[in-house]
Amino acid sequence: QEYSFKFQSSDPAGNPNFEFQKGWTELVAERSNGAIEIELLPTGSVVEYNETLDAVAAGILDGQICDSSYWAGKDPAFGLISNPVGAWSAPEQMIDFVENGGGKELMQELLGSYGLHFIGVSTPGLEAFVSRVPLDGVDDLQGVKVRTPEGPIANVFAAAGASPVNLPSAEVYTSLDKGVVDAADYSVFSVNQQQGMNDIAPHPVYPGFHSLPLVEVSMNQAKWDALPDDMKTLLEETVKEFQQTQLQGNREADEAAVEEAKAGGKITVHDWSDEERAKFRALGQAEWEKIASESPMAQKVYDQLTAYLNEKGLLAQ
Amino acid sequence: MWDLSFNLQALGIEAGTLVMFAMLVGLLLTGMPLAFVTLLVALIFALGWFGPMAIPLITSRVYSFVMNFVFVSVPMFVLMAAILDRSGIARDLFDAMKLFAGRVRGSVAIQTVFVSVILAAMSGIIGGEIVLLGLLALPQMLRLGYDRSLAIGVVCAGGSLGTMIPPSIVLIIYGLTANVSIGALFTASFLPGFMLAMFYCAYILARAYLTPGAVPDVDPTPVPREEKLRLLKGLALPMLVVVMVLGSIYGGIASVTEASAIGVGGVILSTILRGEFSYSLLRGAAMQTLATVGMIVWIGIGATAIVGVYNLMGGVDFVSELITGISDNPTVIVLVMMAILFFLGAFLDWVGIALLTMPIFVPIITDLGMDPVWFGVLFCMNMQVSFLSPPFGPAAFYLKSVAPPDISLGVIFRSLLPFICLQILAVALLIMFPGITGR
Amino acid sequence: MSENREQIDLAATSEGLREEPGAMVIPPEAGLMGRLVDRVAYIFAAGIVISAAVLLMEVFLRYIFNRPTIWAHETTVFLCGLAFTFGGLYCTARNSHIRVVLIYDWLSPPVRRIFDILISIICAIASGFFAYAAWHMVTRAVWTPAGDIRLETTGSAWNPPTPALTKLFIFVVMILLVAQFLIFAVNYARRARS
Ligand code: NA
Ligand code: NA
Repeated sequence: QEYSFKFQSSDPAGNPNFEFQKGWTELVAERSNGAIEIELLPTGSVVEYNETLDAVAAGILDGQICDSSYWAGKDPAFGLISNPVGAWSAPEQMIDFVENGGGKELMQELLGSYGLHFIGVSTPGLEAFVSRVPLDGVDDLQGVKVRTPEGPIANVFAAAGASPVNLPSAEVYTSLDKGVVDAADYSVFSVNQQQGMNDIAPHPVYPGFHSLPLVEVSMNQAKWDALPDDMKTLLEETVKEFQQTQLQGNREADEAAVEEAKAGGKITVHDWSDEERAKFRALGQAEWEKIASESPMAQKVYDQLTAYLNEKGLLAQ
Repeated sequence: MWDLSFNLQALGIEAGTLVMFAMLVGLLLTGMPLAFVTLLVALIFALGWFGPMAIPLITSRVYSFVMNFVFVSVPMFVLMAAILDRSGIARDLFDAMKLFAGRVRGSVAIQTVFVSVILAAMSGIIGGEIVLLGLLALPQMLRLGYDRSLAIGVVCAGGSLGTMIPPSIVLIIYGLTANVSIGALFTASFLPGFMLAMFYCAYILARAYLTPGAVPDVDPTPVPREEKLRLLKGLALPMLVVVMVLGSIYGGIASVTEASAIGVGGVILSTILRGEFSYSLLRGAAMQTLATVGMIVWIGIGATAIVGVYNLMGGVDFVSELITGISDNPTVIVLVMMAILFFLGAFLDWVGIALLTMPIFVPIITDLGMDPVWFGVLFCMNMQVSFLSPPFGPAAFYLKSVAPPDISLGVIFRSLLPFICLQILAVALLIMFPGITGR
Repeated sequence: MSENREQIDLAATSEGLREEPGAMVIPPEAGLMGRLVDRVAYIFAAGIVISAAVLLMEVFLRYIFNRPTIWAHETTVFLCGLAFTFGGLYCTARNSHIRVVLIYDWLSPPVRRIFDILISIICAIASGFFAYAAWHMVTRAVWTPAGDIRLETTGSAWNPPTPALTKLFIFVVMILLVAQFLIFAVNYARRARS
């Protein structure tokens, strides 16, 4: 092969999302007739999941497939663009914003300043919410101890009256099992179901109302620049295919898992009404302005995002 | 930026792996501090394989390692041990334990195994536990006249049970990697973990009755009633701490890592109740904790540095080359996997081994129609061996960090041999009788 | 045999081994720097105790009052992270890092001195490389690509700049390790000559 790259994923090896990403590297090899070979390493292989941006910038890794919100500590703009809590009710909306609504340009400006090139976007889809207690709306969140990941999402839960608890992902299972926390942000429904999260917390909310991660496929800018144009196009187009495969695959797996969970009789799947979802999103939107004031790029993301949502009539809900 | 005249990449991954492991052993034998041996090998390979731009991956891993919340429980357990060591609690506990001896030889060692099982239920990692047992149980067993190598083996092997009995970070990481239920893994690992503990007890009994001088003779004079009551009091405070920690974990009050801090609180409360608490006691314990975790954590830092560099070198390719096309017989494949795990376990820590082997092994296991939960328990059992096996045996290093100076690493590793054999026996039984996992 | 065990027992029991806190053994070859490291170590040891207190408080606030904080865990991780990092320097100054002395013990004292000098120099060089690498890490954590000072934060709801501070601290400790190992090398060399 002419080009050999090492990418690191933020997912562990056996995770279905990792499999989809691996599918992308296989597609790339196939379409380029073996001219581009990408070795995809699972999370933590070379550096920890929240250090890959620096590693790609330094040329240690060639690229990464990861949730952009991990870079919120470098610029709050990453946090806002990757998880504007309350902006999206379907993955297609987020993808359209990135691909056609100016999101791509913002991601490139953000990543470009760090020496990375933004190739494309994907997402596992709307995550399901894991809960031990029945949750049918925002009011039910009152006093509920929620494990939240990094990012401003904790503030949104706090605004909803919940008590956000900061726990590493390795402690989620035991803490949820024993009731240290009542609910947790974890993964998509099928993964939660496979890993037994729904058995210990039998009141999942599906589809989730809280998180739709923006997963970026990006690589070292210099190495990108060295690629011929047809190879660049090939990478961009295969990412779009991978994104569709992942969305479709996860959706089917989620639906099958929901059926399985319902059939088991021990798990109650909760689905929030549109009004309740809108209430939570209103709380999320209140956070945006706060984040926007934290950096010039965050302000830029805020302006672009609200402009897009207004144009599409998505903000007025 | 610099012209480095050596290019290790030319070796290829097979030869590179061998050179790396040979270099590890060679440098270890010079008497260089262990943490710097692994760091130096990582540095040489980062430089020689990739060039100077790759070195920041080592410092990045150092950063991620020291900022890992899960490791917070290590200083907590060590602090607990250091405080207990400075109070009379440990001595009273072991004196009281003699009461339960009855006429059984070697009973304090057996009870130490039971204490290890209780500690294992409190913690998901092993470093702090071995230090705790090393500071408390080891001197007490030696004081009571137990054979040194038996006492050392009980402490290291017993302390390692922390990852075999739930909660266990090894099983959690395996569950995340293999995408299987962590609850199922915990349930399946309990019996095998207990079985391993029973092997240790059986071995202690065998030594006690078959080898003269391995354990102290049973004291035939009956203990008077009042003395019994006085000694039993020694159990009260340790029990209180155990109830506080286990209660907070299983009662849903605290996460496993937080529970270790509750243990510290409980131990401090115990010293206050005994009237032993003082500022200088706490200060001394804290200083000892810093010195001990400095040693333990930097061994981990060196190990994590090597893993990052080796993965970037394409270590996964090496493992997959070892396994592909080896056989069509599932048993042979599993045995080869075990052999690879034993080999890697001698040189790397378990996180590195999981990262290297799981992406290859787990799909093969599921393709062969075998149960990935069973395999997770098998992996976890295999990592028990890796904690003890030389030259890179973390359990031995943890004990060495608190053992008296005359107990050398050579002495420790020699003491561990029979226990490694018992662990391998447990691995073999798990392969022959997967039903032990209850699946 | 039994006499031998007696000796071991005495050495192994905590009473036999107890060092007075504060009077921890700093080898003379560590020099003034070693003694300074020993002094400063107290701060980081206190950090561990504070971590325990913070975690206890967090559990208490969460379980009794249902009011978890957003800062307890990140504070604990930071304090322990500093202690872990400093612990490496502390053990170097105390010369207490674990080593395999199988062959070393068997060497004659003059050869051992040469080993000591060489090992110290090699460790100093390695630490120098790590200081260089840590500096790269620091530049990314402390400055934006445009060159403005911006301390990298955790990105959480509390969002403290602990990543940048820890990376800076690792850089400082790596430099101090170079100095400490060089001091050891020089003092071993002096001892070897006299
Ligand atoms: Na455990
Ligand atoms: Na080992």
